[in-house]
Amino acid sequence: MLSRVADSLYWMSRYLERTDGILRMLKINYASSQDDGHDFTWRPVLKIFSFLEDSEIAKLEKNGQAVLQYMVVDKDNPNSVLNMVTKSRENARSVQDHITKELWQCLNEFYHVVRNEKLIRALRTEDPIGVLDGLIRHGLLYCGTAEITMSRGEGMCFMSIGKYLERAIQSADILDVKFSDLSYDLEKTTDTTYWKYFLLSISGYELYLKNYRSGFEARNILDQIIFNINFPRSVQYSVNLVNQYFEQLKSERNLESFEKINFMIGKLRSRIRFSNVQMISEEGLHTYLKKTHEELYAIGHLLNQHYFAYS
Amino acid sequence: MLLNLYFRQHTMDSTTLFENYPVAPGTWDEMVHDGKVRAPYQGVYDFLRQVPFDELNKKEDLAKRLFMSQGITFTVYSSGEGIEKIFPFDIIPRIVTAQEWDFIERGIKQRLKALNLFLKDVYHDQFIIKDGIVPVELIYSCPHYLREMKGVNVPYDIYVHVAGIDLIRDQDGTFYILEDNLRTPSGVSYMIENREITKRIFPDLIPQNNVRPVTQYPNILHKNLVSLSPRPVSNPTVVLLTPGMYNAAYFEHTTLARLMGVELVEGRDLVVDNQKVFMKTTVGLQQVDVIYRRVDDHFLDPLVFNPESALGISGILSVYRKGNVAIVNAIGNGVADDKAIYVYVPEMIRYYLNEEPLLKNVPTYQLGKPDEQKHVLENIHKMVVKKTNESGGYGMLMGPAASDSEIADYKNEILRDPRQFIAQPVISLSSAPCYINGKVQPRRLDLRPFALCGPYGIEIVPGGLTRVALREGSLVVNSSQGGGSKDTWVLSV
Repeated sequence: MLSRVADSLYWMSRYLERTDGILRMLKINYASSQDDGHDFTWRPVLKIFSFLEDSEIAKLEKNGQAVLQYMVVDKDNPNSVLNMVTKSRENARSVQDHITKELWQCLNEFYHVVRNEKLIRALRTEDPIGVLDGLIRHGLLYCGTAEITMSRGEGMCFMSIGKYLERAIQSADILDVKFSDLSYDLEKTTDTTYWKYFLLSISGYELYLKNYRSGFEARNILDQIIFNINFPRSVQYSVNLVNQYFEQLKSERNLESFEKINFMIGKLRSRIRFSNVQMISEEGLHTYLKKTHEELYAIGHLLNQHYFAYS
Repeated sequence: MLLNLYFRQHTMDSTTLFENYPVAPGTWDEMVHDGKVRAPYQGVYDFLRQVPFDELNKKEDLAKRLFMSQGITFTVYSSGEGIEKIFPFDIIPRIVTAQEWDFIERGIKQRLKALNLFLKDVYHDQFIIKDGIVPVELIYSCPHYLREMKGVNVPYDIYVHVAGIDLIRDQDGTFYILEDNLRTPSGVSYMIENREITKRIFPDLIPQNNVRPVTQYPNILHKNLVSLSPRPVSNPTVVLLTPGMYNAAYFEHTTLARLMGVELVEGRDLVVDNQKVFMKTTVGLQQVDVIYRRVDDHFLDPLVFNPESALGISGILSVYRKGNVAIVNAIGNGVADDKAIYVYVPEMIRYYLNEEPLLKNVPTYQLGKPDEQKHVLENIHKMVVKKTNESGGYGMLMGPAASDSEIADYKNEILRDPRQFIAQPVISLSSAPCYINGKVQPRRLDLRPFALCGPYGIEIVPGGLTRVALREGSLVVNSSQGGGSKDTWVLSV
């Protein structure tokens, strides 16, 4: 497969994974903002998913409508859903001969939806949850179409690596921002709705209720989001899948590059596998998450260097 | 009173759809002759008249939506933002009868045979120049004649692997060759996609009318490309080279690559090493055998041609000259589709094949010749004047429609370098029914069939791109000048 093609498939998939993360986060936070009026702030969402300075965040954080417009349809926000979908679709457009026609059409339709002027109006005048749900569904359609129609070759591996790497990074970053609000103090008790909405925003609420009987505790939340391999957004689960898809790329023709990246992934996997919440609290949560974040980025860089370099 | 009239117009049923179909005097209409519908159009005519009136608008909308959602679009970039445009599509198909097609097919095959021989000759022994058939100045003054190609042998002596030949019909229905496109002709994806759209908007109409299929085009092209591989391997690497996604024909490049199952590459994906071409893959370099390129000659190799080109591959010409890679179409074909050379194609057919040309040229005056120049300048109001090296409807003067000052400016330009211009009497292109703003109206059109030459001969897929001038009264069908397209039906009986 051409390096350029691998690169495009990887980013097509990463951008859509990010889009999904943003949309879910926005939807639940919007719902939450309707619940507890005064205290609610959009700060964590903006910190995770935008490049805004603190002062700019301060201007926006209490204005839900402005945040929605900024995060969904703002052309000048490089991380807006509009720009994410556009980039994903531009990548898809340049590799149309490597994805199925159905997958291309699905992304192309998503693109025409987010670009439509109607969306801006709908966000403002209709029920934002309904609008966000509609967009989330387009993302789901993409996932389903990829799953059902794409051939299981190298292309699918690069798409999956992009998707799960992005997801692992998101989960680590979301934890980092959420816990920084509590000064990384795992003993600190907080309002249960704080955790409830947090879990809802990453689709982990129901699983949590089934697994942890003692109410909302920071330690349990960490356990689920970092270690629980049955939770599709946990760091451990995502890294395992990155590993699984990367191993399929093994080839005699570039063994050296493969071994290098395989080593990095293996190292990260073991570090997570052989740690627990107790050890994290001793090491310091922020340090632990920062290290994880850095190692995930390093894997991305190495992929770039060894598999995607073409110009 | 006014309101009443308005109301009546909008409740018309479609049996009256074809009333008020004003065929321009002195024009061959594809559907109507002497106030009667021609037999091949009867099926479509009857069908359209029984479709409920609103349905046609819905079908037109459906066609637009299908083009948009399938990304059959080109992107126009303005103020840093891409806007998706559809090449306008008219829902009523254009019909070519079996007899007409048979003649067109024989005529194009004959012409291409001669043009191929001409290209081989002009880049080798140049008998045609020595025998005084084509003047030497004309060849050497053509910017598309590439001396770098002199003496280069190409596989099977085929230069034109893919040709798009533009045909028009005059008032008595005679077909004329308007232009040969022998470099990187585009539009074939519309031949394929327009048919797919018709299948969706008019279910069952195609089988009922005995329309010949066009879907085999990519398979024939692929078979030909594989056969050109310089390496005797069973599975040579064939790639399609595109200038990239900012090119207006990018959709076509991706479609063809997908339908043939070959890699779509850009210049930056390829590299030359040790007189071979490779593509950069995730597992290292892989040798490339055949390149179907949609990049113009002058951008192909920055070492030899335009040094500014970022679309090409440094050193590729030298690999080509050595025969280590096949390039389709051959480099340097522009000398054969130059509008000044066009005049000599009938002579070429007589010279190389000893046959009379089946398809006629449009009478053409060369402004480089003093007597012809005089005639043209005196009759410029009745002429179309074109630049020999421009295409796409750019740089031309439509005599009957031009103002005096436009003509004066153009005349000055002609006198500066007469070799760069040819002139043709205005031909009143044939018209065919189009569905425009809720009414069926005649509009002018041409036809571009696509011919494929391989080691096994020349094959022409029965169909083509019908371009139509959607503006009322316009004779210019180019998409840059407000043209659209139609599905083209070649009937089997």
